[in-house]
Amino acid sequence: MTKPLDIVILGGGTAGWMAAAALVSLLPANGWRIRLVESEEIGTVGVGEATFPEIKSFNDAIGIDEAEMMRATNAAFKLGIEFVDWGFKGSRYIHPFGVHGPAHMEHIFHHQWLRALQAGWNSEIGEFSFAAQAARNCRFQFPETARASIDSAYTYAYHFDASLYGAFLRGIAERRGAQRTEGKVKHVVQDPESGDIRSLLLESGESVAGDLFIDCSGFRSLLLGERLGIGWEDWSKWLVCDRAFAVPTERNELSPYTRSTAMQAGWRWRIPLQHRTGNGYVFSSGFISEDEAATSLMQSLDTKALAEPRMLKFQSGRRVAAWANNCISMGLAGGFLEPLESTSIYLVQIAIMQLVPLLPEKRIDPRLRDEFNRLMDLQYERIRDFLILHYKLTTRDDSEIWRYCAAMDVPESLTRKIDLFRHDGIIEKYKDGLFTPTSWLSVFIGQGLIPENYSPVADAISEEKLISQLDEFREAVRDRVDEMLPHDRFIDRYCAADSAA
Amino acid sequence: MKRRIERVVVVGADAPAWMAAAAIHASLGGSGVRVRVVELPSRLRPADCYSALPALGGFHGRIGLDEDLLLRVCQALPCAGQRFSGWSGASLSFIQGYDQSPPPSGAALSFTQCWIKGRLSGLRTPFESFLPGAMAARAGRVPLPVEAGELQATYGYNVDAGAYSALLKHWVTRGGVESKAAAIANVEIEGDRIAALVLADGERVEADLFVDASGPEAVLIGRMPAAEFESWRDLLPCDRMMAASAAPLHPCPSFSQISAFRDGWLGFFPLQDRTAFVASYDSRETSDKEVLESLPILANMPVVGEAVVSNLAQGIRKRTWVGNCVAVGEAAFSLEPLDAVQLHITHNCVSQLMSVFPVEAGNFREAELYDEIIRRVAVNLRDFQMTHFKLNRRFDEPLWDRCRDMAVADTLRRKLDVFAARGRVPLCDDETFHEHGWESLFIGHGLIPQSYDPRVDAIPEQELIATVQGRLQSVRALAEAMPPVGQFIAGTAGARETTSSAHI
Repeated sequence: MTKPLDIVILGGGTAGWMAAAALVSLLPANGWRIRLVESEEIGTVGVGEATFPEIKSFNDAIGIDEAEMMRATNAAFKLGIEFVDWGFKGSRYIHPFGVHGPAHMEHIFHHQWLRALQAGWNSEIGEFSFAAQAARNCRFQFPETARASIDSAYTYAYHFDASLYGAFLRGIAERRGAQRTEGKVKHVVQDPESGDIRSLLLESGESVAGDLFIDCSGFRSLLLGERLGIGWEDWSKWLVCDRAFAVPTERNELSPYTRSTAMQAGWRWRIPLQHRTGNGYVFSSGFISEDEAATSLMQSLDTKALAEPRMLKFQSGRRVAAWANNCISMGLAGGFLEPLESTSIYLVQIAIMQLVPLLPEKRIDPRLRDEFNRLMDLQYERIRDFLILHYKLTTRDDSEIWRYCAAMDVPESLTRKIDLFRHDGIIEKYKDGLFTPTSWLSVFIGQGLIPENYSPVADAISEEKLISQLDEFREAVRDRVDEMLPHDRFIDRYCAADSAA
Repeated sequence: MKRRIERVVVVGADAPAWMAAAAIHASLGGSGVRVRVVELPSRLRPADCYSALPALGGFHGRIGLDEDLLLRVCQALPCAGQRFSGWSGASLSFIQGYDQSPPPSGAALSFTQCWIKGRLSGLRTPFESFLPGAMAARAGRVPLPVEAGELQATYGYNVDAGAYSALLKHWVTRGGVESKAAAIANVEIEGDRIAALVLADGERVEADLFVDASGPEAVLIGRMPAAEFESWRDLLPCDRMMAASAAPLHPCPSFSQISAFRDGWLGFFPLQDRTAFVASYDSRETSDKEVLESLPILANMPVVGEAVVSNLAQGIRKRTWVGNCVAVGEAAFSLEPLDAVQLHITHNCVSQLMSVFPVEAGNFREAELYDEIIRRVAVNLRDFQMTHFKLNRRFDEPLWDRCRDMAVADTLRRKLDVFAARGRVPLCDDETFHEHGWESLFIGHGLIPQSYDPRVDAIPEQELIATVQGRLQSVRALAEAMPPVGQFIAGTAGARETTSSAHI
């Protein structure tokens, strides 16, 4: 038997309760103790309402019933993200959670599509994505799992109320034995020699001791940043947005995708839930004033606002080590990447799921710590590059932020990816980290980067045959989408929330 | 005006040259790319044998080559894995099979973690007893795909090198690839590109792309600027190789045997009509003469025919693609003839070449990417082979003592560390061997993880014991249901059909 640990989680936002629910569900009931310290006086950020498909494997791993979770969080399905006005004004594409073209042709499809395009046969690449077309037509069904077919090669995520999701997980965590302690931290007690954290001294006088501390204290990073002094790597020269206004509005069309619209000094999200629509404007204070940003958000709403806009401040970047001493950061305490690709909750989830198999024993094994940090670095850096891509690949010159972004130097790792695609249509795969070639393809093409060449392998069949195959596939996608249930009716049947209008 | 690549010339001999030609022709023949082979004199000796990974079956599927033909004309035998003995001192030998059970999805718990807990609490059953590939090999059986089963394994081949090369040549030329047997008199190089090859008969051969498949001689890439050979001699110690043959084995095993001896290792590769031997050793420790004399003793069987000695030089070209010259196979990098990687090196390089095939003649922007990928592939394979040497437990023998102290690259250091700490394998990009391969390698050589995933403790004791015993029984039953090599070769047609369709 491994010696059980006392694990203390600081902070009860979405990250904290995700960690608590997962740890208490996955670790042995015997001996292991999961405590979460939070204060009702400290608000949580809880803006992340859109998720990435990996969330489902997280929920499955800890044994959450999907329909129950969706009812409890006013959730709806999500098949991708629509980007409006990004590459140029008037442009519109969907980054779908699924492949383009027949699944078994994934490595060659976009070369074939390019060949047809060069031959003068015009089509949108999104027409060959089942997930994108289902999203566009506001339809939903679960992916076909029994056989390979048009409607099997995609996944889905959720739009939900993140604070309700946190509350839902809190219920699960507490029912399964996680212990919640109300209180604010007054002092962090460290081992004078190793610097390891021994206990949290609360304002109430209570002392919460532990073997391992998980810092979910948000931007403040009370343990890892403030106490252990782990530095911050600033990425704001590439990801310049540093503020967001968020405002809920009345429910409108329940589209199964997030919409991200590029704005004068940033971008605006629209996230449809069962009972309301979430909206927000992520902007750079260097390019627009807070007042102007709030006004343009309010003017852009398509339904009535249900509250005043609420502002958040942030900076893109991450702690140089996610794990130091006996303290591991998760969520905003470890890093921040703007929610352009809905990765905030994913980053919490991946931290938990990579930590569990590497959990140390009482004595910290540096080999496990280094491996965890390496994996988290890869996650952050690869998402970072993918986000920067959206800003870099723009031909907009109608406002200063877009001119800045189009001209900025980007990380070498990204420059190389862009060049490879621009010249040859090549998309490199990587093993660790989010975003498969199909995601990269959507954004490259969607933002107007059409490769100069396609692979000669796509020349293997005649042009006529190729075009008729493409046409046939496009038709088959369309036919299959037509047979699907509308998303809102699917939700009504599967997981209507009691509170939803 | 941009121009597509139209003419590709492959230079080399034997299986690597024909493999490269076959793959390029299969992928691009329909796109108007003409492939021509300049066939150099064969490097093969009668005793040579290729030991191939299961991926070779996939390659055959790709070029339409039937398994029946392979078995009929190449003295080929299916091979379920490699059995290593004598590497870890007194500890038992182990078999490295080709398990293909899907790895647990996402963060799910793997059986390996359960086994580690068992082992740390006194379980004596070796890891390989839970692996269908190794168990099939142990029983002399051939692991065929199992319908709807979680536990899967597959097999590679041992083939007579000369017969296999002849088969491929026949296959490729019949498929429309032009070839000419010739020696190269001169390579005309202008700057960083090959203007033409001049053959011994005076013919000038021009091409948009030259593929160097000439093996370690690297007749083209070796002359290109900045493509010097970077030796890995300090990482893989053997520099001499002796090939020989002995009588066939009865009953026929379904594994290759790799035995360590004082100055290197000795491999036995069963074929239908003979057993091929390879001894790989360090010339600092022994002489060809000494190895030749001790071979029948080490092998415990008489040598038939001639034993042939050659040099081994493990390492990689500093650049594997320069101008219009791309190196594939051992012209790009070479390793020990171990772990059945020889043909795989060519196969892998050619597949990578197809995925980044140049779009424009004269403008090879893909070269850098190809070079990076090939280097990663090579380093991962090198790390895998180094592990055999690094983890040896043969004490008081200079070669083996030295190997234990070798410095390893960061990539291997991390794998060794994380595995020793927790039994997980931090795979890199472009790995040939995946979790199953590395796990059985490490555990086989005696690297037992010091701890396991704490989630294993969440499984009740009785349930865990039942899981472990259940798996042992399922694997045993699976192995028993597989055909023995003899039966497989004799060919119940049904069994054959299952395998060949599974490869395509």
